[in-house]
Amino acid sequence: MLLDKTLRSSTLKLAAIYIAVVCAAILLLFAYVYETSISFARTAVERDIAAEQAWLAAGYARGGAPLLARRIAHRSDGAGSGEWSYLLVDRSLAPLAGNLRAWPNALSGTGGWSDLPLPSGARIRAVYQILPDGDRLLVGRSLGDLEHFDRSIAFALGWAVGLLALLAVAAGVSTSRRSVSRIEAINTASREIMRTGLGKRIPLRGTGDEWDELAGNLNAMLARIEELVEANRQVSDNLAHDLRTPLTRVRGRLEKAYHCPPAIAEYPAVIGQAIAELDGVLKTFSSLLRISRIEVQDRGEGFRAVDLSALAREVVELFEPAAEEAGVRLHAAGADGIRAVGDRDLLFDALSNLVDNAIHHGGPDGEVTVAVAEERTGPAVTVADTGPGIPAEERRNVLKRFYRLERSRNSPGNGLGLSLVAAVAGLHGARIEMSDNAPGLKATLRLPPSAPASGEAQPSLAAGKLRPRPVA
Amino acid sequence: MTGAARRILVIEDDRETAGQLADCLRGGGYAVDLAGDGTAALSLAEAGDYAVMTVDRMLPGIDGIAVIRRLRERGVATPALIISALGEIDDRVRGLRAGGDDYLVKPFAFAEMLARVEALTRRSAVVAKETLLRVGDLELDLLARTARRRGRRIELLPREFRLLEYLVRNAGEVVSRAMLLQHVWDLHFDPMTNVIDVYVGRLRRKLDHGQAYPLIHTIRGVGFCLCAPG
Repeated sequence: MLLDKTLRSSTLKLAAIYIAVVCAAILLLFAYVYETSISFARTAVERDIAAEQAWLAAGYARGGAPLLARRIAHRSDGAGSGEWSYLLVDRSLAPLAGNLRAWPNALSGTGGWSDLPLPSGARIRAVYQILPDGDRLLVGRSLGDLEHFDRSIAFALGWAVGLLALLAVAAGVSTSRRSVSRIEAINTASREIMRTGLGKRIPLRGTGDEWDELAGNLNAMLARIEELVEANRQVSDNLAHDLRTPLTRVRGRLEKAYHCPPAIAEYPAVIGQAIAELDGVLKTFSSLLRISRIEVQDRGEGFRAVDLSALAREVVELFEPAAEEAGVRLHAAGADGIRAVGDRDLLFDALSNLVDNAIHHGGPDGEVTVAVAEERTGPAVTVADTGPGIPAEERRNVLKRFYRLERSRNSPGNGLGLSLVAAVAGLHGARIEMSDNAPGLKATLRLPPSAPASGEAQPSLAAGKLRPRPVA
Repeated sequence: MTGAARRILVIEDDRETAGQLADCLRGGGYAVDLAGDGTAALSLAEAGDYAVMTVDRMLPGIDGIAVIRRLRERGVATPALIISALGEIDDRVRGLRAGGDDYLVKPFAFAEMLARVEALTRRSAVVAKETLLRVGDLELDLLARTARRRGRRIELLPREFRLLEYLVRNAGEVVSRAMLLQHVWDLHFDPMTNVIDVYVGRLRRKLDHGQAYPLIHTIRGVGFCLCAPG
């Protein structure tokens, strides 16, 4: 199994290419070494032969053919003579002296170097010359030593190449096996996760190498997915509760009306109530859908430059009558002409939710201020009320879907307003800060500086949604 | 109005919804033709002379958006109200880009649907630009941006004037909260609060206070209607 995967692995293929290149390089190097040492040895042999020839020629020059013949005879009988070949022939190629029987046919011309086979089967390196009186002299030396040297070098180099290749193959296979086994560990964990659920993690080896980094990143991704799935599960639980409760009420009423029909005159009231309840359910449903859509939307899609100051004024203007009715003083503050990049509809919606909350929780005779400011971190909108505020430990929770403070559990609202704000903030790369207004709550939406941040983009699960300017 | 101005083509594959739409429209005084799929819709819309068509976004065969696009390519300019179960702005805008004129997200109140169809039929029979609008004893000067009832000037904020203008232009017809938000505030979402009601309430106080009869009426479950008695 593992071997099979190793053989098919890309690392092994890479290793094979690497091994081939290395072997080729080694072969080239060895060929060079071989050539150089052989030619060095040949040169040495030729130098010996040339010295011998010079000594004989000197004898010829001093004492003529007889002295030369004596020297040849002396050399032919001496120690190591088996290695040397001499031959002196006259004009008609009849041998005069030496240990060769006949002048080799291959030698013609006036002199020079040659490789000659001897009748005994050995090969010699020979040089010959025509002497002034027409006699010819041949001096040769056996190539046996050289050939032996040649063979042993070739043998040694051959072994070295073989061993190196073997080592390289072994290293390649073991590297591949290592990477295949790491990948296999990740594969096994993935299969396990697909089979059993998101609880499993890929084991780390603590080596801090790139495999550990990959496994770590995959584990972080799994953790994030698990978190999202868990959040989803909680939302569907809450959704089930928030939808089932009113649906059960409607069903109960309709059932009662069915079993004990009310007077005809009461029909509109019963039906009207049912419709109102269902409208509430649908509103909750649309809010959730809207939040989910915003959460998976691609950041920056359809963003435009938005005049944040003007937007805040518009929100204040829209809510002014509602604030008046609730006995709350609502006013806009802060600088003019502060711009941000974003989705006007969504920013308006988010700000509306903050203002709506502030009016509702600001208490009677309260004061709500919407202020826009350009801060060091970028443009920021603050909605401050003078109500009871939110306890510090609850401030993170109120951004969750369906979360409602104990004290507002029985007041209208579906607990989704601030999660929408959170979703819009997430989409814009903005942060929501809840602080104490002493008394009251101060909610600040801090947008990134004008260019929309794309670096730490939200995990985006769906393809980008078209969000061009709505057509009026 | 001509006969064609009162004929609506309903393109909807769900039979029950189609029947309900047709009943509702007939109740509003329209004649209704039904098309159950894209192909039928194309041939009917091309052949007939309709005041408005309502188009379901998801149809078997040819998609609702594609139907509108093809009709527009063939020069059929009948105003289209896109009815979508997908919701949210991207779908709406995609629909509007394809040549749709308005959108409605399922589920919807039938009265809202009727109000939007009414608005589209009026749009297809739009009159020349006027500078003075009158409903009962209310007079709106669009150039001076002033409103008077029985000659007495009513002080309005700029947004209130736009709101009143929209109501007056649609006098006698029901307009929904979403329509107001869309046309007066250029916002394309449902605020999920009663903020619009309160806003209209303030306009109503300014407009109707101390007058012989009220002009702005709340239509329960749908929206508002500006009309003079008689």
